[in-house]
Amino acid sequence: MAKADDLIHQPLRLKIMAALYAERDGEPPEFSRLKTITQATDGNLGSHLTALEKAGYVEILKDHVGKRPRTRAKVTPTGAKAFRDHVAYLRELVEGID
Amino acid sequence: MVLTKDEAAAALADIQATTRRGATLRGYRIGGPILMLWSVIWMLGYLSMGLLPSHQWGWVWLVLDTVGAIGSILLARPAEKAARVAGAKSDRSSLKMMGGMAVAIVFVMSTFYVLRPTDPAAYLAFPGLMVGAIYAAVGVFVAGRYLGIGAVMFALTLVGFYAFPEILAFWMASASVALFVSGVWLARA
Repeated sequence: MAKADDLIHQPLRLKIMAALYAERDGEPPEFSRLKTITQATDGNLGSHLTALEKAGYVEILKDHVGKRPRTRAKVTPTGAKAFRDHVAYLRELVEGID
Repeated sequence: MVLTKDEAAAALADIQATTRRGATLRGYRIGGPILMLWSVIWMLGYLSMGLLPSHQWGWVWLVLDTVGAIGSILLARPAEKAARVAGAKSDRSSLKMMGGMAVAIVFVMSTFYVLRPTDPAAYLAFPGLMVGAIYAAVGVFVAGRYLGIGAVMFALTLVGFYAFPEILAFWMASASVALFVSGVWLARA
């Protein structure tokens, strides 16, 4: 049976990982867009992104578009695998598989 | 960490809702430029209706609709390609888009053929009302922002029909600005 991931299971971190996983092969979403998708506040999103970055699950990309600073986030291969495993665990639990 | 079945189900529902919100925003970003393109088509079409004799309207719209359809497919292509790279099964969205446009055009032409309106203003207003209704329906069933866009187009068409019937074609052409702004609003989502 797959195992739960304590770090990912926190509700907002789960949403962040779900949003980034869905965009894993596209353009990494900007902070503001991620905030809309996860319905988080600035401070909350920033602190949970930092926790996920420390775990190696996400990569924070900072650059400039013209003069405007831009922060984007991308799920790492480790993060993608951890998310898949956690979702597998949740599904097994719901479906009652031991 | 041990979760209950209910907690796991709630977490899966959260994931699904988040993924859906992300997909809706992606859809807006794809739809925005397409809406901007159609605002230009709309403006050119209605300007032509205001300036050209009525027997040329059909040909003008045929050409403009063809340009719009091809442009829409080209604008939607990068998103389709990205979805394919991501491993998503093709949902044939270009074909669906073409099909939807064909249905709308056939419906408008058939309605005119069956009802044979004598007032030229009816020819000008009906497509605007139909586009407004289609966007509103998309808004109700798929992505909320389209409801507002549809309502604005519907309202602008009715205002023009009742308040400015003599210059309705030019009124409708200027209403394309609202469509363009809506496209920008979607693209920035």
